[in-house]
Amino acid sequence: MSEPSTPIVRKRATASRKKKRNQIPFGFLVFALMIVVGILLSMRESALGMFWLFGGCFGFILQKSRFCFTASMRDPCITGSTSVTKAVLVAFALTSIGFTAIKYSAFAAGQTIPGQSYIMPISIATAVGGILFGIGMVIAGGCASGTLMRVGEGFTMQMLALLFFVIGSLWGAKDMGWWTEHFIAGAPRVFLPDVFGWLGAIVLQLLIIACLFVAADLWERKKMGTTEGE
Amino acid sequence: MAEYELDCMGEACPIPLMKTEKKMETLVAGDVLVVHIDHSCAMKNVPEWARKQGFNVEVEEVDDGEWDVIIEK
Amino acid sequence: MKQFWEKISKNRYYQMVFKNPFTYITGAVLLSITQIALFAYSGNPWGVSGTFANWGAWLYELFGGSVEKWFYFSSTGAQNTLQAGILNHTGTMLNVGIIFGALVATLLASQFKIKKIKAFKQIVAAVLGGLLMGYGARLAGGCNIGALFSSIASLSLSGWVFAAFLLVGAFIGSKLLAKFFM
Repeated sequence: MSEPSTPIVRKRATASRKKKRNQIPFGFLVFALMIVVGILLSMRESALGMFWLFGGCFGFILQKSRFCFTASMRDPCITGSTSVTKAVLVAFALTSIGFTAIKYSAFAAGQTIPGQSYIMPISIATAVGGILFGIGMVIAGGCASGTLMRVGEGFTMQMLALLFFVIGSLWGAKDMGWWTEHFIAGAPRVFLPDVFGWLGAIVLQLLIIACLFVAADLWERKKMGTTEGE
Repeated sequence: MAEYELDCMGEACPIPLMKTEKKMETLVAGDVLVVHIDHSCAMKNVPEWARKQGFNVEVEEVDDGEWDVIIEK
Repeated sequence: MKQFWEKISKNRYYQMVFKNPFTYITGAVLLSITQIALFAYSGNPWGVSGTFANWGAWLYELFGGSVEKWFYFSSTGAQNTLQAGILNHTGTMLNVGIIFGALVATLLASQFKIKKIKAFKQIVAAVLGGLLMGYGARLAGGCNIGALFSSIASLSLSGWVFAAFLLVGAFIGSKLLAKFFM
């Protein structure tokens, strides 16, 4: 992205500014604190320390890149911008390849395939849940990971949203018996390699992601009349 | 060559962007809009939207976690 | 000392990594690497909102409630997790880690600021949005991470179905937002 060549002339006085504080020392302080907590957790149980480390990495990356799964669904509806959508699709593609490699090597070695609990049943509950979640994340200004990240950035509104996310989860958990009995219990779980074979599944998946990427790009050009990168 | 201001302090995504989009429609070519924001995501998506529209954009960090996005139509 | 920090914040490479935001694509690549590493390490992909249900249960127990009879927590695995407590819960460490990771990233960029709630409608938005997300995530079996990102990457059809309905929800949400919360 090229910066505009001519600076915008501002009439407004820019002089009366309060001096900015440097927050970097606090950053290092919190970082050191995180390391200490990580070591203490590892001494308790190594998995706790590892998950703490992974959480820190996810939080850091999410904040630095302002990665927002909510924006990937919302921005196409509001402004037509799909730059976040395209980035999310790239993440899907890369992670699919890595996951498939891990799953396939376990399968080829005759071991149980890890992480199969994430192959979820497809039912009315998936649809209702998706719509409710979609409305909620746009209104609250962030999904689960986005809300956590914004709590770290100091948003009081998202702290409230997090509290009610937890309460909503509890409410949902309470009703799960009913939903399971009526809809989820008999619902199919579809693992793509069972249908298309391992190679077929990953190729098909990457192909779908590529098509969606092109569709997202075309959508942005149509909605925004983009002049960039013709 | 008028200059307008838009206060989006404390507003969460995507409200700053929606307000900016609405406000820019009322401006004529040459006008400048200064959007005050304190949302770290808006500091990325408002300028990005404006650049895609073909406007001149500058982002200035005015305080810790506060930015002015200056858009020239 | 003060000058030392000033000097660091002016350093070209410091600015590149800690001050300026990454591009979305950089974020996508780094998140993917971390996701794959987590999966390789723990045998389970990344999930966020399942932990929130556990937090809810612990909160409920704190107020004297009991979830023992609930179907959702009826498996021995779920019961063991609840009994072990929040300090032995790996999902909690992951989620709290996200908060602190984001905090460190914000502080190192000198961009931390407590953003107060400005208007009553923000409270309504946060409460309503939070409840909808919580309930919806339980129905779908996860949030944008567990039921979408991790599910799709696990080559599960459910991830794509969830994505399609999320888009419907986001569209409705956008309309509501423009009408009531702007």
